[in-house]
Amino acid sequence: MTLPAGIQDVQDVQHATGTGAGRRTSRPVALLTASALVAALMAVPLVFLLIEAAGSGAGELKGLIFRSLTWSLLWNTVRLAAVVTVACAVIGTGAAWCVERTDLPGRRVWAVLVVIPLAIPDFVVSFGWNSLWTWAHGFTGAVIVMTLAVYPLVYLPVAASLRVADPGQEEVARSLGVGRVRTFARITLGQARGAILGGCLLVALVLLAEFGAFEILGYQTFTTEIFTEFHGYSFAASCALSLVLVLLSLLVLAGEGALRGRGGRVTRTGPMTQRITPPQRLGRLRWPVLALFAALVLLALGIPVASAVYWMTAGLPPALSGGANVSLLNAAAHTAGYGAAAGALATVLAFPVALLAVRHAGRVRHLLERSTYLVLGMPGVVVAFALSYFTERYTAGFGYGTPALLTACYAVMFFPLALVGVKASLARAPVALDEVARSLGQRRLAVLCRVTARIAGPGLVAAFCLVFLSVVTELTATLLLIPTGTQTLATQFWSYETNLSYSQAAPFALVMIVVAAVPSYLLWRFFQRPAITRG
Amino acid sequence: MRDVTVGGLGKTFGAQSVLAGLDLEVPAGSLTAILGPSGSGKTTLLRLLAGFERADTGTIGIGGVLVDGPGAYLPPERRRIGYVPQEGSLFPHLTVAGNIGFGLPAGQRRGGKVDALLETVGLGGFGRRYPHQLSGGQQQRVALARALAIEPAVVLLDEPFASLDAHLRASVRADVQEIFRRAGTTAVLVTHDQDEALSVADRVAALRDGRIAQCAPPEDLYSRPANPRLASFIGEANLLEGVVSGATVKTLLGALPLDPAAAIPGAAGQVTVLIRPEQIDIAPNEDGLTAHVTSYRYHGHDAVLCAQPEDDAGVAPLVVRITGGPHRPVGSAVTLRARGPVFAWLAD
Repeated sequence: MTLPAGIQDVQDVQHATGTGAGRRTSRPVALLTASALVAALMAVPLVFLLIEAAGSGAGELKGLIFRSLTWSLLWNTVRLAAVVTVACAVIGTGAAWCVERTDLPGRRVWAVLVVIPLAIPDFVVSFGWNSLWTWAHGFTGAVIVMTLAVYPLVYLPVAASLRVADPGQEEVARSLGVGRVRTFARITLGQARGAILGGCLLVALVLLAEFGAFEILGYQTFTTEIFTEFHGYSFAASCALSLVLVLLSLLVLAGEGALRGRGGRVTRTGPMTQRITPPQRLGRLRWPVLALFAALVLLALGIPVASAVYWMTAGLPPALSGGANVSLLNAAAHTAGYGAAAGALATVLAFPVALLAVRHAGRVRHLLERSTYLVLGMPGVVVAFALSYFTERYTAGFGYGTPALLTACYAVMFFPLALVGVKASLARAPVALDEVARSLGQRRLAVLCRVTARIAGPGLVAAFCLVFLSVVTELTATLLLIPTGTQTLATQFWSYETNLSYSQAAPFALVMIVVAAVPSYLLWRFFQRPAITRG
Repeated sequence: MRDVTVGGLGKTFGAQSVLAGLDLEVPAGSLTAILGPSGSGKTTLLRLLAGFERADTGTIGIGGVLVDGPGAYLPPERRRIGYVPQEGSLFPHLTVAGNIGFGLPAGQRRGGKVDALLETVGLGGFGRRYPHQLSGGQQQRVALARALAIEPAVVLLDEPFASLDAHLRASVRADVQEIFRRAGTTAVLVTHDQDEALSVADRVAALRDGRIAQCAPPEDLYSRPANPRLASFIGEANLLEGVVSGATVKTLLGALPLDPAAAIPGAAGQVTVLIRPEQIDIAPNEDGLTAHVTSYRYHGHDAVLCAQPEDDAGVAPLVVRITGGPHRPVGSAVTLRARGPVFAWLAD
């Protein structure tokens, strides 16, 4: 699962108000080279896909794309994406506004509770619903499950942007004679516009890429079909469908870019002081709103957890037998190992690109940075498929099924997340500090260690956590590329789940939630910190 | 204590020439202010001195060592430059003491030296605080102490007081001046604020069009600027036509003693005369130039009025600074009288 790129908006504001950044005149040859290499690596899956498609011939490709299956997949994918995105936008924005701007009782607690579902893998949520109630399947099931699983992707950036947006604008609107409701529509939504769009973009991309949840719910989309075709060794068909899926993702990206336009930026004039403004009074709506929050948390958090606990206790003896315990520990260790390796790799890869983006102006760096964001439009199943097929075609299978390939796949998939985190953290360490440090007699390397890395450190940890978290809850690419004989929490859960061994699958779901909770907490702490450090 | 010598310095960004053959001498132990409007290249000059940028042409010498020039470049960490940037730029992850000790060898980072510097800048006992817990003025002083810690050859200050509130500015300014006097450090300060440049520095260099138009002690720069344009740039100036004969100069405001420093060849001829607003008074009687008030601005400690001479419609209104006296409504008549000595240049 992906996480808030909408947070970028908030970080952009910091960057704009921060001083001293972005002036350097010498051409950063080493940085440009490193960034170009990273961008090239990110482009490998897409380029390979295009080469393959071109190689298989236009006629065959046309036949594979223009068939009734494609249209039904397209209809399934698009209608689900549309409904769930709108639902997430409403729930995420509404919840964020209530938590950040109203006198909702227990706001601090809700702020945590409504975000936790993000740490629960989508396929665990769908397992929770589907294993308890058989009616939770197909389109209805997919809408319910996905909305509950991914609405925090809208909530988080919107809450962050409302936190830094100037509440004074609302007051000015009221003083100009605009009523409460219209102020909300014209000012508040305007302030959060970029964040809402960013969140919706992520939701749509997640829906295009989702595999496990839909497989459980018996809902067929491009991703599930690509997976099936790939497993059936129909590479040409996988390739053709992947192209359509990538095109769809790029359309979503382009659409978001067009909607965003030039307006809708969170801007704030004057010093970035956190002024305390009295929250809006909910009044008579207080109890209904509270009830809605309780229902949301119950459905999104309560049911998956309760369901996993229920199945685990239902089958207590076999699930906790010695052998199961060992496999649980093993799987947890593998999951954590892959998460850490991919997190480190993605963060390291993101570093030069982020440094270039934050500290050097220019068209080349802009292009490089943008090109790496293309990966956002590459669903995990496509990246995994492209990489595995790549090894099959060009290295005679060498590298396939190795931990290195899976780690690389994760690093490519989650590179945009790492980039967001690293950029945000580097923006906190302006060039001016480096210059001062050098004038105080410190060499470049010492400056990097004693100043830049120290200030950017927490943000680098956040970037690492983002990737780690995503790897823990990743299923699609993992199933395709995992070395034979190795099991992660996700794959082990999956194999029990598909065998309908719910009581054996349940402990893996719970451990996954626990493992994902730690980096989630660190992340939450990071974004909760006051955004601006003076000096 | 080192001197700074800059010769023919040129720097271009893209198509824009920022510095064009700039020459500057900063004597050892002096506090020199670079005064220029925003965008005149002041900060670029500082960054070149510090070594953050390389010069396109020209040379920079510090204490007789060539640090930037054809084939020579000393990186910033080896120049022993104490750099105090505009925003202070304290390291947010370090305490005040950590900031001050940053440039010292690891063994000296805590203890006597840092404490002594804290006392010097009047922040004794603040060592354990973090930058965000300090006011703007305090941050600025920590930045200064941090620069002084490495016993720099030269301290460079980039608009150090610009971010301070007006009431704080004067006191921090005075403190800084005092600290430099006592330490005898060579310092270069850039500012766009004439008041600041004239009141703090031993020498003021006026930066115009990428060059130093004049570098002189503040009194000289103010009362004896190199040319009429510079006179208007530094403070307000009344520029009148005059005729020199001997030690006096005849102007609209009568015959005034000529500043002996105004070297007028042959002590005769058409000149342009500089009369500062405070050199003009309102005469208690009718003995002087009659004019009517066209504007009046009251500042508390003084008032500035513009007065149009009655008989000479071709002359621009005269700017007059008066202390005390009644309110002068626009349109009222005043009699003006000037005091010498006045400075003058040969008319073109």
